[in-house]
Amino acid sequence: MKLSLAYWALAVSLGAANRPAPAWKNDSWLNTSIPITLESLKGRVTLLNFWVFTCYNCTNTVPSLVDFDHKFREKGLTLIGIHTPEFPPYGGEHDKGNVQRALQKYHIEYPIAQDNDSRTWKLFGIQYWPSFVLIDKKGNIRYEGYGEFHLNDATYKVWEQRIRELLAE
Amino acid sequence: MKRRSGPAALLGALLAACGPPVRPAIPFRVEQTAVGSVTRLTLIAPPGFKVNARLPPALELPDGHVVHFAGAELTVDSAYYAIPPTAIIAGAGAPVRGTLRASVCAVDERYCRSVVIRL
Repeated sequence: MKLSLAYWALAVSLGAANRPAPAWKNDSWLNTSIPITLESLKGRVTLLNFWVFTCYNCTNTVPSLVDFDHKFREKGLTLIGIHTPEFPPYGGEHDKGNVQRALQKYHIEYPIAQDNDSRTWKLFGIQYWPSFVLIDKKGNIRYEGYGEFHLNDATYKVWEQRIRELLAE
Repeated sequence: MKRRSGPAALLGALLAACGPPVRPAIPFRVEQTAVGSVTRLTLIAPPGFKVNARLPPALELPDGHVVHFAGAELTVDSAYYAIPPTAIIAGAGAPVRGTLRASVCAVDERYCRSVVIRL
């Protein structure tokens, strides 16, 4: 198989995995009345999106995530945004009101966990904004990746195929 | 469960072995220029990198104050600085000390990361 540098870069940013997902314990949530736990998601496919509203690459990707939510929620996908600030509180990213305004601006209806202490970011070993972790119905991490993508581009189609694959299991 | 075969399986195995690469430190530098009674700091990005203007770089001074950088010109999408951002610090002569934080993105990549520079 011949791999161009660009293809290789895309491939490395979309890695496969198979290990139990760690249980996140975020206390502060938006778009949900109760905190969502890993345990409560058994039997559903879960896509975690690590993001922050000050990240242009992240907000550029949101339309694709909103599309996934609309397309697959009823079929068993739970999309969760893990909102992890880059800067200390003076940057404004820790403020729940600012996050709420971003959710309205980008039409985000899926649950968002505030990860103000970066605990969940570190728990999953995340390095970049935006990053993605796809968890199967049994609670195993099956795919990980990072990087902006857009509606119907090559990376979008890879993630969509992966979601369909896990929903079908 | 449907299993992959051929090139897809090979690629999957390679990906599983690789994981996300750990990126080397990015050689940002900060120029300090005395201008009358103040010092102007300029954050210089290395070629191929851009600084996030949605989260302006910030310098945390030893006394706890935070000084935010600003730039006169942004990229067309208003997301990044088109020219190096600057900050003005009172006093001139002695080197400015503190911790500088910036959110940066590589031009040819599609994600951001934080850099921290100790002055």
